[in-house]
Amino acid sequence: MPDRYSTLRQSLIDGVLTTPGDTTPDLRRRVEARAAQHAGIERQESTEVPVELAGYLDKTALHAYKVMDEDIQALKDKGYSEDAILELTLSVALGSGMSRLERGLAALKGATS
Amino acid sequence: MRLRNVENGHTWQKKLKLWFIQFVSRRKNPDVLRLVFYRPELFGQAFSQGLQALLRGPSEWSVAERELFASFVSRQNQCDF
Repeated sequence: MPDRYSTLRQSLIDGVLTTPGDTTPDLRRRVEARAAQHAGIERQESTEVPVELAGYLDKTALHAYKVMDEDIQALKDKGYSEDAILELTLSVALGSGMSRLERGLAALKGATS
Repeated sequence: MRLRNVENGHTWQKKLKLWFIQFVSRRKNPDVLRLVFYRPELFGQAFSQGLQALLRGPSEWSVAERELFASFVSRQNQCDF
């Protein structure tokens, strides 16, 4: 849904999901879709992620305030770099944030139609 | 900050900028600033541009009203920012 902030939104999405890094854009898209699914928005992308990531990603999407140092260290122990953890965490935040925006705009559209 | 890279893995130019901000403000830089400045092409650059447009760009809401909306939502999310 184009609006005057569409370009800015797309720049943020492109940055988080496609900037070269320690994780693939495909994984980041699935992580984003998984976070959006938790917020009630279905994406076309798969939400399947490596099993060792699922716990951290879901906790971050649903209860970010509960994330502890031990959660981060557990990912590092499994071989994920700090940049990989950052990219995945940002992907979760993007999915959670964008889904809230989409639901809000949908509600606004429903209210004004 | 749990990620050492985000804490102090910035380019020297960004480290200088962070040091200057902290020097002028006389307060420890908030973590979100470190995040924005770390690998800005990943997140910070687009986020900052969007934030500037949303909070300071043309709008029927005043700047203060928009800041209040953002503060309220942050409080609901148990976030300091």
